[in-house]
Amino acid sequence: MNITIKVNGKLETHPAEARTLLVDFLRDACGLTGTHTGCDTSQCGCCTVFLDGEAIKSCNHLAVQTVGHEVTTIEGLGANGLHPVQKAFTECHALQCGYCTSGMIMSSVDLLNKNPNPTDQEIADGLEGNICRCTGYVNIIEAVKVAAKEINGVNA
Amino acid sequence: MTTLTKTDQAPQFSRQEDLALITGQGKFTADYAYPEMLHMYVIRSVYPNAKITKMDLSAVSASPGVKWVMTAKDIEEHGGKEIPNAISVTTRAKEPQKVVRMPILAKDWVHFVGQPIAFVIAETALLAQDASELADIEFEPYDAVADVQSALKPGVTQIHPGVEHNLSADFEAGDESAVDKAFAQAAHISHLTIKSQRLVGNPMEPRAVTAYYDKEQDRFTVHTPTQGIHGMQNFLGQATGLSVEQMKIEIQNVGGSFGLRVGPYSEHVGAIIACKVLGRAVKWVGTRSEVFLSDWQGRALTLKASIALDSQGQILAFKYHDYTDLGAYTSYMSSFIGTRNLSITMGGVYKVPALYMRSDLVFTNTTPISAYRGAGRPDIAYAVERMIDFAAHEHNFDPIELRRKNFIKPDAFPYVTANGTTYDKCDFERLLNRALELSDYSGFAARLSSSKEKGRLRGIGLSTVLEASAAGNVQKDQVEGQFGPNGVLTIYGVTGASGQGHATSFAQIVKDELGLSTEHVVYLASIAGTKLIGNGTGGSRTLYGAGSAIKDLCIKLRAQVKAVLSKKWNCAVDEIELSAGVWTQVSNPSLKSSTEEVLKLFTSDELASLHALGETSSGATFPNGCHVAEVEVDPNTGVIEVVNYTAIDDLGKVISPVLVRGQVHGGVLQGFGQAFMEEVVYDQQGQLLTGSFMDYAMPRAGAMMNLRNETVEVPTTLNLLGSKGVGESGCTGSLPALSNSVMSALRPLGIDQMDMPFTPYKVWTAINASQKN
Repeated sequence: MNITIKVNGKLETHPAEARTLLVDFLRDACGLTGTHTGCDTSQCGCCTVFLDGEAIKSCNHLAVQTVGHEVTTIEGLGANGLHPVQKAFTECHALQCGYCTSGMIMSSVDLLNKNPNPTDQEIADGLEGNICRCTGYVNIIEAVKVAAKEINGVNA
Repeated sequence: MTTLTKTDQAPQFSRQEDLALITGQGKFTADYAYPEMLHMYVIRSVYPNAKITKMDLSAVSASPGVKWVMTAKDIEEHGGKEIPNAISVTTRAKEPQKVVRMPILAKDWVHFVGQPIAFVIAETALLAQDASELADIEFEPYDAVADVQSALKPGVTQIHPGVEHNLSADFEAGDESAVDKAFAQAAHISHLTIKSQRLVGNPMEPRAVTAYYDKEQDRFTVHTPTQGIHGMQNFLGQATGLSVEQMKIEIQNVGGSFGLRVGPYSEHVGAIIACKVLGRAVKWVGTRSEVFLSDWQGRALTLKASIALDSQGQILAFKYHDYTDLGAYTSYMSSFIGTRNLSITMGGVYKVPALYMRSDLVFTNTTPISAYRGAGRPDIAYAVERMIDFAAHEHNFDPIELRRKNFIKPDAFPYVTANGTTYDKCDFERLLNRALELSDYSGFAARLSSSKEKGRLRGIGLSTVLEASAAGNVQKDQVEGQFGPNGVLTIYGVTGASGQGHATSFAQIVKDELGLSTEHVVYLASIAGTKLIGNGTGGSRTLYGAGSAIKDLCIKLRAQVKAVLSKKWNCAVDEIELSAGVWTQVSNPSLKSSTEEVLKLFTSDELASLHALGETSSGATFPNGCHVAEVEVDPNTGVIEVVNYTAIDDLGKVISPVLVRGQVHGGVLQGFGQAFMEEVVYDQQGQLLTGSFMDYAMPRAGAMMNLRNETVEVPTTLNLLGSKGVGESGCTGSLPALSNSVMSALRPLGIDQMDMPFTPYKVWTAINASQKN
């Protein structure tokens, strides 16, 4: 069967089985390989995308479940230039191998959407569903704070 | 949808590598796709020790979309060999180690849960997986050997024919009789058994391979996470029986390696054979479950350590008996870890007149072991520093003063240890003093009282550690540099990054040496057909290995630029100077140009003539550090919080301070993971109990909020750059510092030794038991 999902503002129609996970639909059918698979138990958060503006793990949603909804991936986040969180991640050296980065950025944006002025502890709690093996998280927490500052400055 | 305003200001990129990775444009192995590509699934053993009595895969073969089901027989028929063993040792009796290499696919016997038995290749990954469920395989299970201590017991199951008592080798280093003499004269002796438990390295990108065969050129293109193209090519040659020249390794991004990705696994061999036989590209992408089951695991060492002191606290000798769990087979670096990497620095940062280590390398029915971040270096540092701390408390010495008294003094370098290792220049006292200052060590008593008022326990602990970084398997590190018509310098090398930011550090070296701005430097690690030699990433060596070769390249290019420039400026070559990125003519100082301006004067032919080979031979270096950890323990729950962590590291000359900080953060946090939560658990029958992130805990954001780190530069003269390497230092310093701080908190309750990981349950149980006594 064909599945149609709005991804990054564009309708994507591709043949897929009912059991196809959203992450595999995005990667294999849409060619959006910025979203990664890091585990098989919904623990690592490498596959985090937005569903109707909120962060979800695309490995625990079937593609068919998202028909009629809008998906945003890392490729769609900075479509008009870098998002402040993307910018802060490089400026604060908040990534090393970069495999967790797409999901980590999506979760960070979601966190700031919901809480524009998070404390360090709130950032840590907000990123609990994303595992990074390289950075020790120190610079990731820093990057989220730096991004918050820029967003609040720009929006003020 | 996010409603946030897009940023207007251009970012200050920390690294060249970042733009692709923050926008989802990176390219990892699973991201490579070919037309008509086939997919592979692996059927694995569910038993730790069993005879395969029946294997009927006909239903799998007949399943929709299946193209080929490969068994051990197919691997043999197509010339496949075994998983390579990179290092073997000699025993105490000067006999060769008993090496048992892992077959690509198990033939008639399986030796660990997760061992590959068959490859199923089909049109899609799901069809391959569906088909594999129809496999009819019968096993006759036997008693398994789940851990080292049971493996050595008399009468226990012998895993491999010809390997009595499951002992692959008993290695030794140092002088046992000198050590025994020292112990006989000692005023104080302490004994301590420490365990560095088995871990899963868990890079975030699971293992994967995509292979494509070009019939016309008789050549394979292999996309896979690797630590360096040469290591992967050579080991692929050994494992497949094909020639190294046929292997073209091509990869853009690697999602972490930590020592696990030196060479191929079984799946690489399967994909390579299948892509040629079937004439279509073959891809295998492992799951996290397969990472837990079948990535080489790390650590798995038990060290019985003893220390002899005179009445004044002067160290007389260290003695160790190590037990290294090899897992079911000897694979890659496993025999290197418990031998060279432990013994080479077994005296730590101390002047120890007599040293001896015996190390038993033992087979068990578990996943094979290989290198994981430090590969023995953190483990020996952990043993030395736990032992010093333990002995200080047992015999009433101040743990800091005991260390100070026994430090190798700055004027004693180069220092030759009792077992023959030559340490390069270090200054342990300076690092210790800075760490004590930055951690406000002297203010601990006050912080302890305030914790007590809250009903908490508090502890502080430190480590003064040193490690020997990799000497390199290949004698030389070579790089090749070529300027293009646009003034961009392209550097070709063999070492591949997996998050370290090689391209950024190398560009920084070029900037420092040649004045060329970093955006005019490109580093390429995976170019086919390169005749360069060099070492891959591993043992913290890329920066001082390949980095020194880049410095050599820059020195040669500088001379070439001067020669061309002298014609432009009509002066002698030695009239031209380059300083702080500015080229000047000595007799006419008003003539000043940046490197970019100079290169603009050159014709495209002149630019093309700027080409050189950089090469250096760089041996092991000795990164060292002093880490201080402070913890607070809730006695009601056993939960431990690291309230302060200070890392002072001497990494020699630092090239990229931002990247160095990041490496230390990551290393310290991997040490945190080992200290507080990570542990591979097998039950007594050899079944893996920690098979996912659900039951193998990983450090999460906020694990350590107060981590401060600095470097103290004591440049080495052992390489051209003066750098010592940073990749493993965070892990090496943190295991003992964290453990000593936990013991400091629990010691008032009479608890003076506990094995990692210090989980809340374990800590709570110990506290509870101590209070009952």
